[in-house]
Amino acid sequence: MLAWIRRFREYLRLSGVASISRRYFVMNSFDGAMTMLGVILGASATGPADPRFVIGAGLGASFAMGVSGFSGAYMTERAERKKRLRKLRRAMLFDLRSTVHAKASFAASIWAAVIDGTSPAIAAAIPMIPYALALFQIAPSWSAFPVSMVSIFATLFVLGAFLGKISKENVMAAGLRMLAVGVITGVIVWALGSLRIG
Amino acid sequence: MKSCLVATQIRKILLDVLKPHEPQIQELASKLGALPGISEVSISLAEIDQSTESIKVSIDGTDISIDSVRKTLEELGAVIHSIDQVSVAKKKKTSRSRQA
Repeated sequence: MLAWIRRFREYLRLSGVASISRRYFVMNSFDGAMTMLGVILGASATGPADPRFVIGAGLGASFAMGVSGFSGAYMTERAERKKRLRKLRRAMLFDLRSTVHAKASFAASIWAAVIDGTSPAIAAAIPMIPYALALFQIAPSWSAFPVSMVSIFATLFVLGAFLGKISKENVMAAGLRMLAVGVITGVIVWALGSLRIG
Repeated sequence: MKSCLVATQIRKILLDVLKPHEPQIQELASKLGALPGISEVSISLAEIDQSTESIKVSIDGTDISIDSVRKTLEELGAVIHSIDQVSVAKKKKTSRSRQA
């Protein structure tokens, strides 16, 4: 098992998939968190949201984002890596199918798909936890909304700080920038949800 | 009666190899150095272009297997263009047979 993990890590290193994985992770976690922000604020704009609605909508959105992320990333990465392998084969005049390059390409496609599929699902699942606790009466129902909002904004801040760390910028400023996007979006969604139509 | 059986062993080879940029030459050298019968590997970069590199691989050992070297290189996506130099040494083996 350890040897398999070591080999897989070697393939990932050889394929240079780390930077694109980081991009997928941040972009898709952001998508997941913002989707739940919209769901929760939209449901709560005219009164306390039913936890069952939030969890149902959230699970549906998480699953859809996960499947879309996994399959989309796998097919995209696979196509790009095949193109790269073909180019290399032309340069080498050698069939690379049985070499470490082919294995590394496959590993990179799988890894990118896993990151792209799980990151939005996890980011969307975190704000659902307070509603699940309220549904099972483990926590008071009034606490679900504020706690999930805090968790979403904390997720956005952490994602921004992570980007700041990668780009060697001010981590706090980068985190606050991402948080500001979430807050502005939240205000707009809340305003839209509060509109009385008809 | 004493008879001598003589075998040859490859002690040194110099290869001209074409490889992609990855894996890097230090990884190539480590993988080759781990093969049985090889004691030292030296790699130098000869040419480089957008997709590939030409390298000179010098291998020293007690009993180098060219097939193992070729297989290891190909697994890493490298190709032997030519074998530029070979050094071979005799290995003497002695066996005794019973007198009739």
